[in-house]
Amino acid sequence: MAHEQMIAEYEQARKKALGMGGPEKLAKRKEQNVLNARERLEVLLDEGSWAESGLFATSHRAEVRDRTPADAKIAGFGKVEGRQVAVVSNDFTVLGASSSVINGKKIRHMREVASKSGMPLIMLGESTGARMPDRMGAEGRAILGQDAYEYRRLRESPWVSALLGACYGSSTWYACLSDFVVMRRGATMAVASGRVTSAAIRQEIESEDLGGWKMHAETSGLVDAVVETDEEALAHIRKWLSYLPSHQNEAPPVYPVPEGSDGRGHRIVDLMPEDGAKVYDVRKIVETVVDVGSLMELKPRFGRSICTALARIEGRSVGIVANNPLFKGGAIDVDACNKVIGFLVLCDSFNIPLVFMVDQPGFLIGVEGERRAAPGRIMNWMNALALVTVPKISVIMRKSYGQAYLNMGGGRNSDEVISWPSADLGFMAPSVGASVLFGVKEEDDPVRYRQLVEELSKDTSAWRLAALYETQAVIDPRDTRETLARLLEVHRTRQGKAVGQHLLANWPTTF
Amino acid sequence: MSQTKVISEINGSMWKVLVKEGDAVSEDDMLAVVESMKMEIPVLAPVSGTVDKILVTEGQAVTEGVPLMLMSH
Repeated sequence: MAHEQMIAEYEQARKKALGMGGPEKLAKRKEQNVLNARERLEVLLDEGSWAESGLFATSHRAEVRDRTPADAKIAGFGKVEGRQVAVVSNDFTVLGASSSVINGKKIRHMREVASKSGMPLIMLGESTGARMPDRMGAEGRAILGQDAYEYRRLRESPWVSALLGACYGSSTWYACLSDFVVMRRGATMAVASGRVTSAAIRQEIESEDLGGWKMHAETSGLVDAVVETDEEALAHIRKWLSYLPSHQNEAPPVYPVPEGSDGRGHRIVDLMPEDGAKVYDVRKIVETVVDVGSLMELKPRFGRSICTALARIEGRSVGIVANNPLFKGGAIDVDACNKVIGFLVLCDSFNIPLVFMVDQPGFLIGVEGERRAAPGRIMNWMNALALVTVPKISVIMRKSYGQAYLNMGGGRNSDEVISWPSADLGFMAPSVGASVLFGVKEEDDPVRYRQLVEELSKDTSAWRLAALYETQAVIDPRDTRETLARLLEVHRTRQGKAVGQHLLANWPTTF
Repeated sequence: MSQTKVISEINGSMWKVLVKEGDAVSEDDMLAVVESMKMEIPVLAPVSGTVDKILVTEGQAVTEGVPLMLMSH
């Protein structure tokens, strides 16, 4: 065979593989303003960095071999801001990007290379689930479960998932194993589709109710960010990766400090109400403390009485856990507990120091919380906190009551505890204490009640805590950024090159 | 025109109602204040629209998820 002919054949095979599910299906996606699997790679990755793995792979079944370019899941390696990543982009135009024997091998290879050579794994999800008839009958069973480590996570490197369409089966499972999940409005994620579910349980169910963005952002908490378009989802992935190291054995990348990051602390005194019963949005305070434009809140619609966010201080990644009195007065509910535990796992696994910003009236008590195992969640959080080996710094801004004082890093649960003069420590609000401890109600004996409240308030100040060396510094709130930057520098583990022990790396992937 | 329920996100007592039926409000306007955990917790308008009906009175106990007002928008 002449070289020309070989090359012509190669070009033809390549063209066919790159043609995906054919012009008709691709045109339809374009009409719907949805990117196709290869366009998504172009938007996500640095230009010219793509190295495909398995372009010529197809289904092993003869009857569909011709109709399965890249066997519906495009895999390969690229770069994001110059750093290596492994990617699987589901091609919905090829048999609904269903999971098969061959594309399962592609995913496995990406996973193994990502873990072994230390690079993030990115899954661009959109899949109908298992491919039928591959998985029918006993023979179908024999395909499953041939890789004992398919669903094992030791967090050697970060995993990211985007939910960009109908996601069932593998796209769902990998999202739930990921460290960051971004979902486009209109996409769905569920164990099975609305159609399959309706048939199984004989109830009409819309896919949107079953697994739409609102359900996952507000109720299940399985999604970290919701966006409007594919492009926005891919930009979110790039942004999230900017806070993360490529693997667990290196520190996160350091960025230049944006201009205007310093000197915004004076705003804090206007943002924080003096009256402890008044609420405010803690995110506005956090924004003045971290580098300008660096705050990336995760799960903003879930467990909202605590804000969890990635950010930078002096160009270095930090994980912020901040009580947000704007929601539920800052009382910590079960969803907020689960959100924090997952965030501690993320930061501990990838060497991101933690900063706690504390202003909380306690755990939200009530029947609903107990039914949802609140005590178990509170202790999971404490156990996680004790296993964290990255630096932890706690800032007591205003109140910190009850057991939650410890959960938010009080005592020896942080490397340093700093307090604002407005800090208010106690087991419960003095007004509650007066009635619970002494049985005195304001309406029965206002004089005695006020006297008790005053007595109970006396020993709850930052100054008392500082005298006992339970807070290592009392600072002017306006100096919070500078103080944190300095203390993070002090606690950076020089012996371990700012790399922790990752004791939480094999904790559950969702909470 | 659709109707939206304004709910309390927490158990507590209705401390102040800040609007009256027929008022036009914008999303995130403060409609009422619930007292719970010794905190004054604002109830914000979930959408921009009109307050059609107020279902609670000041001093009344409120339960998480139970409608406090009805709005049309």
